[in-house]
Amino acid sequence: MNGCDVRLEGVRYAYGAREALRGVSLRIGAGEQVALVGPNGAGKTTLTRLLVALRRPGAGRVTVGDWEVAHKRPDEMAQRVGYVFQHADHQLFARSIRDDVVFGPRRLGRSEALVPGVLEEMGLAAAAGLHPYDVPAPLRKLVALAGVLAMEPCVLVLDEPTAGLDRVQRDRVVSALQRRAEAGVTVLAVSHDLGFVAEVAARVVVMGDGRIVADRPARELLYDREALAALGLRPPPTVEISGALGLRGSPVRTTEVVAVMGGIRWKQMPE
Amino acid sequence: MTALVVLERVTFTYAGAVRPALADVSLEIAAGDVMAVTGESGAGTSTLLLVATGFAPRVVGGTLAGTRRIAARRCGVVFARPWTQLTGLCSTVRDEVAFGPASLGLPRATVLAAARNAMETLHIEQLAGREPSHLSGGELQRVMVAAALAMRPDVLALDDPAAELDPEAADALYDVLPVVAAAGTGVLLATPDSERAGRVATRAVALASGRIVAEGSPAEVLTDTEVARIARAAGCPPPYPWDVPSLLRRVER
Amino acid sequence: MIGYVDGTSPLHRAHPYTTLALSGALLFGAFALTRPLEVGLLVLTAVLFAATGRVLRSSAQTALLLSLPIWILLFVLHGLLGAEPRMAFGPVALSVPGIARALVLGGRVTAIVLGFLTALATVSPHRLVEAMTADGVPFGRTFLLASTLTVLPRMRERATQILEAQQCRGLRLGGSIVARLRALGPLALPLVLGALAEVDEQVLALDARGAAGSARRTALDPPPDSRAQHALRWALLALVAAAYAWKFWRMRG
Repeated sequence: MNGCDVRLEGVRYAYGAREALRGVSLRIGAGEQVALVGPNGAGKTTLTRLLVALRRPGAGRVTVGDWEVAHKRPDEMAQRVGYVFQHADHQLFARSIRDDVVFGPRRLGRSEALVPGVLEEMGLAAAAGLHPYDVPAPLRKLVALAGVLAMEPCVLVLDEPTAGLDRVQRDRVVSALQRRAEAGVTVLAVSHDLGFVAEVAARVVVMGDGRIVADRPARELLYDREALAALGLRPPPTVEISGALGLRGSPVRTTEVVAVMGGIRWKQMPE
Repeated sequence: MTALVVLERVTFTYAGAVRPALADVSLEIAAGDVMAVTGESGAGTSTLLLVATGFAPRVVGGTLAGTRRIAARRCGVVFARPWTQLTGLCSTVRDEVAFGPASLGLPRATVLAAARNAMETLHIEQLAGREPSHLSGGELQRVMVAAALAMRPDVLALDDPAAELDPEAADALYDVLPVVAAAGTGVLLATPDSERAGRVATRAVALASGRIVAEGSPAEVLTDTEVARIARAAGCPPPYPWDVPSLLRRVER
Repeated sequence: MIGYVDGTSPLHRAHPYTTLALSGALLFGAFALTRPLEVGLLVLTAVLFAATGRVLRSSAQTALLLSLPIWILLFVLHGLLGAEPRMAFGPVALSVPGIARALVLGGRVTAIVLGFLTALATVSPHRLVEAMTADGVPFGRTFLLASTLTVLPRMRERATQILEAQQCRGLRLGGSIVARLRALGPLALPLVLGALAEVDEQVLALDARGAAGSARRTALDPPPDSRAQHALRWALLALVAAAYAWKFWRMRG
């Protein structure tokens, strides 16, 4: 399914007296993959909530494709935007993992044909018959993600999708998102996991104190040590290696770094 | 070094489970250790923590076979999600941290001193009067570690303590662990974050399907760091370098 | 609005036992007093109680809302089925003594509910726990009580999060009765299951902090009590006893 574009124009939002978003304008093109980074309280989660009509802006406009979000309910927005919450436990309820993943597509009247594939993708095929609460917490996160992917949204919004996952699980999430990106799905991910950002996002939007303070290509920002330090972040391992070895071309993804490292000669370790 | 916990060929099975969560595990934890425990989800890392600190089977049920000697007088445990560890009874951070020593019935002055020391170790003195439920994840997790430390445990087990924290908060938390160990506590750390674990651990152990499959120094065991994977993919022969400096040492210039 | 509301009213500042005693006196008084004048004074006392706690508006609103079904039921039952004489209310003729009886019963119920809500709003769970701890009440009991008091706000917060998550999966709120009933599963189940899953972790965390120990907990900041409040509590007990004595004396005489 092709992605939709996402637009925020002059958006403001306040929690009582506290302004969480102070006039934010952002355009994400259809099929773009964007990471949203910034310190706690910068307004990242609030911004994502606006995209699914869970919050209404105090001022400004939010559109997803040709839809004016102000005229939609969250369950209507679910037809276009798949929101993956940081804490999966808030939505798992079915008797089995498979039943839970099927819930979303069923609600939307979509085909359930994707479900087995999505379960396989998330490494849940073997556990599909188990009760969601009988598997460890990180797996429950994957169940929640699978449930959203099965809904085939044209926009994916994810809040810290790799928090608490082990290496293998992280890889699955990265592969799933890379595959969706190739298929043209628009992706917006809030994440402080720069390794993940390097693999998935082409563009990074930095928020601070309710505003967008930077909007740069991922390649550029991930190599800007000072900018990252100001955010309390370190460059991802791929960038560290690239910097240490003086690799050309500013590679950010693992595959890119490995390709450029092709000519390296390695020392054997003494026994 | 005195061994605080000794496990000899321990097998542990949860109640109603078919497969043991830990099988034939032998391990020793000494004062001053920071032992990293690594393994995929379901490999038994959390269970190992609970068995080593005596909470399994006492609190969680199950059957233990093999020999376990816990010389530690007291064990503390910190989990990944800070909010579920709150007592819900304390209106300030200081009270939350003091909860443990207060439960021991120690005199008020001793309780408050223990709480103060623990908060200083975690650099959270400025949070003392705050309401715990209003804190960020990073701040709250430090409160939880302080709360565990306030009881002066001989062994402190942490199960993926930085799972929900942003990088700065995660670094700050991990940086405290060697300090805690230096004071004589045995630290047991289960985490998929091999990068951070590698920076602070003195020893490491890897589990798969409840069995120990590797044991030794962090560099030897924690081989699933991003750097190690990239080196391996780029043709580096084993053993794989686990961080950038060690990778540089392996490159022919 | 149900649950504790922070404040500095006399009821907030009083020892928790005193506020509870006042509320208890209202409760037991409501069972003992049956005559219209007595009930009128009872309701007035309940209103004064809430006003002293500076929670009159919110508590009164909630109390009326909660007792509304009972009021309706009482008016319908006693008004329609009561004895002569009858008065015309539009198309229906309602029994006058029946209406009077409904007012008395409704008044008692409302006084109870208002007293209960006021106590809930003005007794801080933390202070109550400290008071009970200072008295040597075992932790298990204090925790049970305090958790019950704080469970509603926590559940409410969780319920909101679950509502949002399910809406984002296409669950539409509202609609027909059937639709609403079907929505219950996805909304209620995660609430219960999630809470249960957290209980395991919380039990472990609390155990690790000595909650299950046999030592008498140290109270860090027990709420100040006074001889006057102590005397007041005994006086209230005596008052309630007197009310019952009065009631039984009247019944026999």
